[in-house]
Amino acid sequence: MVNALKLIFLFVCATVFHWAFASFFARFGVSVNILLVFVTAFCALFKLPFAYSLAFVSGLFLDFFGTKLFGNNAFTFTVCACLICNIAPRFDFDEPFPQMVAVFALTWLAGILNTLLVFVFASASVWPGFFSLLGGSLIDGLCAPVVFWWVRRVLNYSSILKQV
Amino acid sequence: MSTPKHPISFKTYTGHYRRRYLLPVGFLLVSFLLMILPLDGFVSSVKAVMAYIFIPQVRVAHSAVQYAQGVSQTVQELLQAHQENESLKQEIQNARLSAIQAQEVFAENERLSALLKLQSQQPWKGVWAKVAYREPSQWNSIILDKGASQGIKERSAVIAVQDEQAALAGVVVEVNENTAKVLLVRDEEFSAAVRLEKDKGEGLLVGAGPRAVQVKYLPLLTQIETGERVYTSKSSSVFPAGILVGQVSRVHPSTAFQNSLTVEITPQVRSEAVQEVFVILGK
Repeated sequence: MVNALKLIFLFVCATVFHWAFASFFARFGVSVNILLVFVTAFCALFKLPFAYSLAFVSGLFLDFFGTKLFGNNAFTFTVCACLICNIAPRFDFDEPFPQMVAVFALTWLAGILNTLLVFVFASASVWPGFFSLLGGSLIDGLCAPVVFWWVRRVLNYSSILKQV
Repeated sequence: MSTPKHPISFKTYTGHYRRRYLLPVGFLLVSFLLMILPLDGFVSSVKAVMAYIFIPQVRVAHSAVQYAQGVSQTVQELLQAHQENESLKQEIQNARLSAIQAQEVFAENERLSALLKLQSQQPWKGVWAKVAYREPSQWNSIILDKGASQGIKERSAVIAVQDEQAALAGVVVEVNENTAKVLLVRDEEFSAAVRLEKDKGEGLLVGAGPRAVQVKYLPLLTQIETGERVYTSKSSSVFPAGILVGQVSRVHPSTAFQNSLTVEITPQVRSEAVQEVFVILGK
């Protein structure tokens, strides 16, 4: 029960931070995706069922605000979750540098995959632009160590976390 | 892939793989199904249910952002208050003079309109709203912090002030109780009937995503100059006439067999800079 409450708390915080960062950085034309940073942390630290479920729901949260297509973000986030869950055993996610690299790469993957999905299924373009995505991926990468540290702190010694 | 020899460990092995692949494959299938379904049927119902779950979160997020912005804004305001106060006093004096002048002009305009039996233009009525959210991957749509409870309806025109000029920002496409989704001028699905400032030639403005916004179907003999302003037309069923949209940036050269002209325009309102908007209630 406590774990479930902690998960809900984390998800709500993730959406709040995502909203705040997206609204703030949109003024400077930067496409920040803090929810993806949280999803990366969930997938690196949580057991598989929790990681996949949270990634899917986070994607749906973003889809809720879309106008052209529904389900593209859920798909993208699930693909990202698959990747992170599979590379997590070979990555040292306790260190900040691997966290930053993973988030940087995932932001690009999510941006490109999302653009492709919207182009294929809705014949529309949601490409935010190269520099916008570059700026966003750098900011996402810089936020990654803080997000990982915080998620781990909230769920300290919880049964949701992967066994080390 | 080799299977373990012991029967118990084989069970554990298959269970592990089922858990590892079944869930993500299931989620991918569900999201794929959601993508191929039309947006107005089942998906619309799913979105309506999700609104009950996500909107409270969004409200919390929006309040947090507003509070954070409010703190820095208050400090800045305190620092600038005295300076602004002086200049505002002067501006008020000027505005009073202009208002007296304007009243006379309005009265004259009404008299002349009555003489010519012209229908006078009604002042725009609406509500001011702030941009509450911008989805990172969709720059050409925004969500406002006001919705149906403030009288906003679908297909309401949205204007924004940029560089001290009010201009068309977009149109409301979805309305919830306290939020509204706006499609901005640059979006590929946006279109509006517009007219040129000098020649009065009418055409159809269409957004083009990352490419230049275009005005199509302008009459062939229209005289168009680069830099000419473009306004919403009276024939638009959605937008009130006379809202500035942008300026002509390029005229496509006409070719043989062409029966209309196309021009590119630079919208007055930049999508990324929209912060506060005015939603016109009723055309």
